[in-house]
Amino acid sequence: MKHSRTLWPPLILGLVLAMILSACTATAPASAPAAGEKVTLNVIMEEVPDYDIVAGLAEQFKADNPDIDIVFDAMPYDAMRDKILTSFLAPKATYDIIIIDNPWMDEFGNAGYLAPLNDFIAGTEGYNYDDFVGPLRDIGEVDGQIYGVPYYNYALGLIVRQDIFDEMGISVPTSLEEYVQTVKDLTTDDFYGAAMQPQRGYKIFEEWKNWLYGAGGDLLDDQGNVIINNEAGVQALNMYIDTYNTAAPPNSLNWGFDEALRAMAAGQAATMLSYNWMLPTLNNPDGPAGDLAGSFQLYEPPGGKAVLGAWHWSLPKNSVNQDAAWKFISWLTSPSVDKERVIQGGAPTRTSVIQDPEVWEKGFGEDYYATVLSILEDAEPLAGGDHAEEIIDVVGTELNSAVAGEKDAQQALDDAAAQVTEIINR
Amino acid sequence: MITQRSFFPFSKRMIVPLALTLLVVLIYPLVFSFWVSLHEYSLTALEDVRFIGLQNYIGLRHNPSFWNALRNTVVFVFGAVFLETVLGFGLALLLHRPTLRFRNFFRSILLTPMFITPIAVGLMFRFLLNQQLGVLPYLLDQIGIQVDWFGPQLALFSIILIDVWQWTPFMLLLFLAGLESLPASPFEAARVDGASWFFTLRKVTLPLMKPVILVALIIRGLDAFKVFEYIYAITRGGPGDSTETILYYIYKVAFRFFRMGEAAAMAYVLIALTLFLVFILYRIMSADEGA
Repeated sequence: MKHSRTLWPPLILGLVLAMILSACTATAPASAPAAGEKVTLNVIMEEVPDYDIVAGLAEQFKADNPDIDIVFDAMPYDAMRDKILTSFLAPKATYDIIIIDNPWMDEFGNAGYLAPLNDFIAGTEGYNYDDFVGPLRDIGEVDGQIYGVPYYNYALGLIVRQDIFDEMGISVPTSLEEYVQTVKDLTTDDFYGAAMQPQRGYKIFEEWKNWLYGAGGDLLDDQGNVIINNEAGVQALNMYIDTYNTAAPPNSLNWGFDEALRAMAAGQAATMLSYNWMLPTLNNPDGPAGDLAGSFQLYEPPGGKAVLGAWHWSLPKNSVNQDAAWKFISWLTSPSVDKERVIQGGAPTRTSVIQDPEVWEKGFGEDYYATVLSILEDAEPLAGGDHAEEIIDVVGTELNSAVAGEKDAQQALDDAAAQVTEIINR
Repeated sequence: MITQRSFFPFSKRMIVPLALTLLVVLIYPLVFSFWVSLHEYSLTALEDVRFIGLQNYIGLRHNPSFWNALRNTVVFVFGAVFLETVLGFGLALLLHRPTLRFRNFFRSILLTPMFITPIAVGLMFRFLLNQQLGVLPYLLDQIGIQVDWFGPQLALFSIILIDVWQWTPFMLLLFLAGLESLPASPFEAARVDGASWFFTLRKVTLPLMKPVILVALIIRGLDAFKVFEYIYAITRGGPGDSTETILYYIYKVAFRFFRMGEAAAMAYVLIALTLFLVFILYRIMSADEGA
């Protein structure tokens, strides 16, 4: 007993000290590295082919800048959003460089979590910020501040089996009505006109909004009113449902872009509305399409206007390594290195790179890049504002309900409009 | 010194580390999340955290997604636990027969699914039942049957079946342990009296097993309320919102939309609901013991 009593005060003292120390750790102000000190930049990335290209290029940067080390933390998309937020909320950023998906930009920018890049850009000679395609630049700008520079685009286009169109003497549809008729005509018992992606949430909204544009509709009007449930919206959704029921593979209600890609690569479908960078994947002789490689061609979505997706490079405000981080980002997205990235297969973001004959020659040909530029110049993201992620989710859920037959098109869009209005006014 | 020792004896001091640990890892998060549930608390607007009383709770009344998720969860829990109980009990009766050959082998095989982590089970079935890659749709297709396992009509049922596949062994384990601990004399008496197998099951086995069944129902029911992994790995709540369960919905509101106050309120409603169900089951148990 006596022995245990003597242990008691040190135990309390230890606990108190531990608490004080942990409090100090938590509140100690983060400081920038001293001059000459080696800086390690932690970068969060999505594990996609573009990441491999960036990781390869980074070796060159590290060789030229021995005082900067770069550590990539590549992960699946689903793991990224909460990890990024956790890093924002930490006293010292876990990540010095983050990539941001377009629906998150306004939300994180307005929350004050991102460092403005205006001064960095202005102070970087030869950066030529205006060279990035306009709609991509717009995503990274929030209330006049630039919070992100484009990393890669994933705008949607119409990918078709050109060999089949040529063989049958059909022209590629340019309007929604033509598209619906064409894919119905191409459908047989074991071949389908359209490989669709009606999966609940992001996927179906991402695909269907191209239909909405094609029918002349939109999510919001110029005054910010929700108009998704107007006549154009209902028409677009009814056409989409009709096409799913008559020209898409059966039981594909849960399909996302990977299932649609697989159907195209397996020669089961004639068209799909998907990311423009899927074309090189399909036409790659060593890729998933095998003997069909080379048979695919990219076009603008029916109606012309496309849904724009893009990732941007951003710097967390709470990072102490912003200068070094910008040095890497500005190098990576500079016209010359960006050109190298695109030649290696990265999705383009700069006009000068897209129009560079060397890129056409070493990349995927002039036609492909010309179409990508046309798509990018007339493209718009799914949703903006602080609640874009939630808006996309609720609209994508209602659309999927309509395709599943749980609601009719008007009801689903009315419900979506009501929820989006509530979210916007929150 | 003597007073101090009797007031705070050595035995109590020894549980201080455990009490502190519990305080940090259990009580503090509970109290903090309750505090959060009374506030407008968004992770992207931390400078604007406001006390709003019970508004987050009251707002749930008019939130159709919440009620839909709750309904889906209740259907899932009752469906899955019912099937697991029936199947688990049936298998336990089969394995309990002393004359059964390879009894231990069958036991080991039947328990295997329980040891796989649920997220892996979700991914496994996602591919097994995939229309393009799955073995099961392919085999069914060979005999002319096409089933859309994750279509609007079947999706929740398919999720229930996956849960049944994984957790029936757990029920089997409990029931088998229960059956093996039953006294032999009532069964011998029934046999002497010429009772049929079914009569013995109904009048002897089931009444004697009632406490074990209730405990199994409580444990499995509480666990089933937490269903998340299968939904996350397979359907993400779709098609439409037909498989969106309450935990998946809470996750979405908290970690995708960052509305922590609302998510915390939903979590507290879920806690209240599960505690209520546990209370009901305990009442049934204690009434049974009283009789």
